[in-house]
Amino acid sequence: MSHTENSAAPAALSLKNITKLYAGTVALRDVSLTVRRGEVHGLIGKNGAGKSTLVGVMSGLVTPSSGEILLDGEQYHTLTPIEAKRHHISIITQEPQVIEESTVAENLFFPRYLEGKEVIDWKELSRQADSILRDAGMVLDPQMKVRDLSVSERQLLLVIKACFVEKGELIIMDEVSASLSNRDQHILYEIIRKLTRDGKTVIFISHHTKELLEVCDVVTVIRDGRAVRSVRRDELDLKILAGLIVGDESYEARKGEDLSSLVTEEEIFSLQGFTSYGKFRSISLTLHKGEIVGLAGLRGSGRTELFRSIIGADPHDSGVMTLCGREVSYSSPSKAARDGVVYLTEEREAEGLVPIASVRQNLTMSILKKITRRGLLHSQTEKETAARSIEKLDIKVASQQQEVQQLSGGNKQKVLVGRVMEQKPRVCLLDEPTRGVDIEAKDSILHSINHGFRDNACALITSPGVDDLMKICDRILILYQGRITEEFTRKEFSEEDIYRAMQGELLHSESVRGGEAES
Amino acid sequence: MRRTTKIQLALLDNLVWVMVAVFFIINAAFTPQFMSSRNLLNILFQSATLGLMVLGQGIVMMVGELDLSMEATLGFAPGIAILLGNAFGLPAVICVILTLVIGAAVGWFNGICLVKLQTNSFLLTMSTQIVMRGLVLFLVPFSLAKLDSFYTWLGRGRIGPLQVAVLALIVIYAAFEFFFRKTTAGRRFLLTGGNRRASFISGINTEKVVIMAFVLAGFLSAIAGLITAGRQNAVSNNMGSGLVMMAFAGAILGGCSFNGGMGKPVGMLGGTLLLGMLDNALTLNGVDVNLVSATKGALIFLAILLDHLRHRLTAWIMHRENVRRLMRSSGRGASSSGQTEDKAGSGQKQST
Repeated sequence: MSHTENSAAPAALSLKNITKLYAGTVALRDVSLTVRRGEVHGLIGKNGAGKSTLVGVMSGLVTPSSGEILLDGEQYHTLTPIEAKRHHISIITQEPQVIEESTVAENLFFPRYLEGKEVIDWKELSRQADSILRDAGMVLDPQMKVRDLSVSERQLLLVIKACFVEKGELIIMDEVSASLSNRDQHILYEIIRKLTRDGKTVIFISHHTKELLEVCDVVTVIRDGRAVRSVRRDELDLKILAGLIVGDESYEARKGEDLSSLVTEEEIFSLQGFTSYGKFRSISLTLHKGEIVGLAGLRGSGRTELFRSIIGADPHDSGVMTLCGREVSYSSPSKAARDGVVYLTEEREAEGLVPIASVRQNLTMSILKKITRRGLLHSQTEKETAARSIEKLDIKVASQQQEVQQLSGGNKQKVLVGRVMEQKPRVCLLDEPTRGVDIEAKDSILHSINHGFRDNACALITSPGVDDLMKICDRILILYQGRITEEFTRKEFSEEDIYRAMQGELLHSESVRGGEAES
Repeated sequence: MRRTTKIQLALLDNLVWVMVAVFFIINAAFTPQFMSSRNLLNILFQSATLGLMVLGQGIVMMVGELDLSMEATLGFAPGIAILLGNAFGLPAVICVILTLVIGAAVGWFNGICLVKLQTNSFLLTMSTQIVMRGLVLFLVPFSLAKLDSFYTWLGRGRIGPLQVAVLALIVIYAAFEFFFRKTTAGRRFLLTGGNRRASFISGINTEKVVIMAFVLAGFLSAIAGLITAGRQNAVSNNMGSGLVMMAFAGAILGGCSFNGGMGKPVGMLGGTLLLGMLDNALTLNGVDVNLVSATKGALIFLAILLDHLRHRLTAWIMHRENVRRLMRSSGRGASSSGQTEDKAGSGQKQST
């Protein structure tokens, strides 16, 4: 996209042998990376690969354990946000941080418009905002309150602020396009074009391979905390990139246990034309007894919304839900739970655990009826139930009485999985059960799911990484923009293909099952 | 866990009872007539009304809400019941039942409005509080005297040397301690307060729980109203005024938190007794009434400080326990421990 094809352009930022250790995990190991002035440098990698830590190092939010940062020829062991600012590094994060009750103009110039003035010239402020927005190609009234803007507009507003108000020389866009609408994405690309024309440097992080190839001059792939390769755009295509991201080597061995022999013909749960406008459309699927089906989709593809509507936490607009041949519909999770349709939330802290309650109470909170004898809680049964879960999932706790908020992320997640398993569900909806847990915990959770949910039950599971799904699922459905676009059977599993399908590529659209794809 | 650690934690958990004990001993030594059995019973008797209010408020706080209207319910329920009773010549039994039903109904109204309108309990119960108090002041003349002896039995009656009110207080607290310890419904209250969204998602009918909490608060206020009316042998139109703040004080002293999910009746009883004892001891020592009130305020402040201290101390004790365990396990060569795990978890979060 830029015209500085000359690879000898001076380096705007180089990282040399950056390593970042968190106690227990290595987030980055020996990463070296050079971003040249005037280029658009893409960063891509799976969740947990270390992108965010790398961005943190570049912007001064994370202190590397070792290594060097070279900025405009100056050498640093660690940056502070202030030094980063002095070198005109601007960062735009995934979640737009705005002041909702202020106007567009105020947000654009915050906090500098307050400095050194007693009286604010609102007209002048609006005029300046207007001209900046217009130059950027965004149509927006500067007097509008930001709370009335969509997420996409807010995000774009922050991009414009970083690029044209803060006048960053090196602008880091951390998965910015993920929350942009189609139209706003094009404005973003136009802004990036404008920036590179002015000799500015952009680091562009995204999960969308297609977009990356469109926007970037160089793409660096991060895998397992290493910068695998920096490749020029003309040497890349979608397939090569996907291969680099996934890492070809030895991923056959990680496929996990194939328990598809346990799958029977008996249908347990099905959806027909399940729709909630604006979230997902015409979802039709069938789960068989003993089957674990993966639902792969990017953030915002409607996975969580679908699950929440099934259990009745959110309403749905139309469609038929069938459980064991009986048509059902739920108005609240407690009603769904009564029929054995349970949900494991992706938001562990906000809607999963009761932080100040004990591990034991958290494990048994969905099965209070089962630990009751003659109307009273039977503490012996409760203890035994909790002990069983703790042993089965290898949850590391000091005691059952320990408050659950004191546990580590992986162990908290195991408590959630344990709680769901004890419910002995018929249909289990698992939303990212392996989110934010380390490899060991991940394996133990996946193993438990693979063995625990097949007995007279079925499960629908999502995951931040495709490889997790491939390990335990019998089928994988692709959810793209609220619709099921593809289906892979276990024989057809290929991480690259699934990854591409998640981005909206149709690989074998002729084999899409059911009529819903055409509608 | 070592036994001393266990004892330390148990003491911190029941800090209010430690305070009650200390205060009791000080007064036993220095306050004249404090230790007479008549005075001790008197403390309990005087605390009965407040105790029920504290319990009601504590239950509502447990689910993460608050109820300002309780003090008005205390006057409203008996006031309306007696007015109806006088107008239609209802027997005393019906009047008692009516009082309790009105109290529960007010709570139910509060609860149902709260969950259906998804509003803020402060605003909602403030409005019902003002409405009810206004209605009582309007409808009930200064006071309604000449109550039936059955109606006043709860407040005036005695069984042997013991006032019925004291007995009622103890029985009700015991019942609720049992309720929260042993029943599934009680457990649901605590979980709902601890994290309402999580409880909802994991299949607890949280709306029902919140409504129930308000119903119980209204019901307990009505009982408190019966006791108050019985004690003064009349229903006056300003019954309960200002009591709700003391109810908060007792609940907070007893370990409740505005964040919900915390507190147990035993603690609330301790909070009530502490306030009651303070009142009694200062009065016996001839301290001015207004100064007594100021002292109670200072006690609440002390409770806040102690609560903070308690959290720090608990964390410190747990930390020491962890360190000890770490030393032991590292001695055996196992490097995985609670603490490093924890950091690994947060590190993971940052890197995704």
